[in-house]
Amino acid sequence: MKYFVTVNGRAREVELIERLGQLELRVDGRKLDLSYEEVDNLGQVAILASGRSWGVSIEGDEHNVTCSIAGRLYAVEIEDERERAAHAAEREATKGGGVVKSIMPGVVVKLLVKEGEAVEKGQPLLVLEAMKMQNEIGAPGAGVVKALHVREGEAVNSGAKLATLAAP
Amino acid sequence: MFRRILIANRGEIALRIIRTCREMGVEPVAVFSDVDSKALHVRMAHSAMPLGGSTPRESYLDAKKVIAAAKASGAEAIHPGYGFLSERSHFARAVVEAGLEWIGPPAEAIDAMGDKITSRRNMTRAGVPVVPGLVDPVDDADKALVEAERIGYPIALKAAAGGGGKGIRIVRAPSEMPSAFRTASAEALASFGDGRMYMERYLDEPRHIEVQLLFDKHGHGVHFGERECSIQRRHQKLIEEAPSVVVDDALRARMGEIAVRAGAAVGYQNAGTVEFLYSKGEVYFLEMNTRLQVEHPVTEMVYGVDLVREQLRVAAGEKLGYTQADVLARKQGWSMEVRINAEDPFNGFVPSTGVIGNLRAPGGPWVRLDAALYRGMEVSLNYDPMLAKLIVWGPDRGAAIERMKRALAELNVGGVRTSAPAALTVLEDERFVRGEFDTHFLNSLDLAAPRGGEDELVAAAAAIHRHLLARRRALSTGASTRAAWTQRSRARYSPYPPHAGAAPSSARKESAQ
Repeated sequence: MKYFVTVNGRAREVELIERLGQLELRVDGRKLDLSYEEVDNLGQVAILASGRSWGVSIEGDEHNVTCSIAGRLYAVEIEDERERAAHAAEREATKGGGVVKSIMPGVVVKLLVKEGEAVEKGQPLLVLEAMKMQNEIGAPGAGVVKALHVREGEAVNSGAKLATLAAP
Repeated sequence: MFRRILIANRGEIALRIIRTCREMGVEPVAVFSDVDSKALHVRMAHSAMPLGGSTPRESYLDAKKVIAAAKASGAEAIHPGYGFLSERSHFARAVVEAGLEWIGPPAEAIDAMGDKITSRRNMTRAGVPVVPGLVDPVDDADKALVEAERIGYPIALKAAAGGGGKGIRIVRAPSEMPSAFRTASAEALASFGDGRMYMERYLDEPRHIEVQLLFDKHGHGVHFGERECSIQRRHQKLIEEAPSVVVDDALRARMGEIAVRAGAAVGYQNAGTVEFLYSKGEVYFLEMNTRLQVEHPVTEMVYGVDLVREQLRVAAGEKLGYTQADVLARKQGWSMEVRINAEDPFNGFVPSTGVIGNLRAPGGPWVRLDAALYRGMEVSLNYDPMLAKLIVWGPDRGAAIERMKRALAELNVGGVRTSAPAALTVLEDERFVRGEFDTHFLNSLDLAAPRGGEDELVAAAAAIHRHLLARRRALSTGASTRAAWTQRSRARYSPYPPHAGAAPSSARKESAQ
């Protein structure tokens, strides 16, 4: 199985081949000898690789994983070949537009744009309040506000749809 | 000494106070809201009283409920911790009126230090240096020019109705004043509907340094030296240390003397902290925190003192029993504290919520973890995002930094993002190691930049993680082959572009279940 793994923004290819219960591993074509043992079912993992020992913690689902090593956090995205193709097609279809989602739970304090308005990259779309802090949520790219999915005063969860942008 | 006290707080500080109570043979009584019924401070206490409610207002901030719980539990005194009701003078008064002892300063002292304008007036009268500036705002540039001569350049203009950095200008010479005042005032008028400006001396390279005080009820007061808390963001501190690299024995004696004078001027009792701004060798009074501080452990480590024990002792009427010279003779080594907050430093420190799954606590010599964390704990938006405080001690600053880096590498908190990686970035910065920083330092760092350098290992581990996850799903017991197959296929992204069927977002939602 081939996986496309993005670690802190940099893409890598990891190939996993299972032979008679043994995992063979290649990262960017290079063979890696690695022993991976789950310590518990909560995410603690013992790894031996290249003569070093690592106490790692790994959490997440199939697509988004956070990994901690020695106090450092790595944000990881994983796709297999099919998913990669599907995502590329999706990106092509929306061209810089797309859905803006809340990165945290909070309350929408103020909407700063109207539907149909053109926005630039980074332009604040709305103000979200969480833990008494007001945070401006910016546009991920230039576009036109196709729809606003929230009203002022509305409470939203992490991952909730806030707005949909269309390509300019 | 008290036989039983009630702790009107939650989280790590409630647990911190419980621990000292246990060591002193005092029975600690916890209070808790509905959502906290399983919290660690409840489980560790001698007894626990339900307050009901889930928001702070319905529980820990409800003075009547807390006092009723204290009376019902047979407690003789109330310790407020920090935050919640700790700096509400009406609560301090109500506690005393209910016939209970208040483990904190008198209500009058809280009032005298309550708001910035009152405390500034009181401190000026007591001969404590404050940041030169005006108490009342001005409304035109000509008046501003006259006042500026008295205050001294550089000057910070701040919107009288302001906040959020709008309507602020730094004026370094009289020639800049007219245009600076005009633009700042216009900005303030547009943003807040009030064009009047406060004027204050602008302090270059400001550092936040504070002095720990302790007064008994017999008029004796001592200071326990300083803490530096300049590594902060939007006034939220991240790293604190004691002592400070810029404070020598002479400055420590001077700041300590000023702080004790400030406390004595308002009839202070119990523990408190005087905050100063330090700029180029000069110190200015900022405000007084009339309670125990979050960062008190670094002082405890360096001076070998249990400040909560001292709070209980003096509240029970005991004399300090030591002099200023005795305190300073105990000063040894260096201590640092890192706050582990549930926030995402890679995303502008936005709050992070979730359930703590994975937890690995650091340990070893001279490492202290003040926390109320446990596996399965839900981190919600109801309460303060601080999960834990990691404190270390070392014989000198360099050793303390290395020890903190080691301890942070051992720490794992899973289920939420934490501020810990940001602290590690600060500790590895050469300027921080040299002691060259001010309160703007944290903002000057690019915390989002990738660090760590184990990308290849992480990529491999993440791929194996996914591989095992998929296999486990497929082999999960009780599921028929077809059910497992369906589950696995649902767990994936929709492999087709959105127009062909289900939107990818809904597919993702299912995979999270």
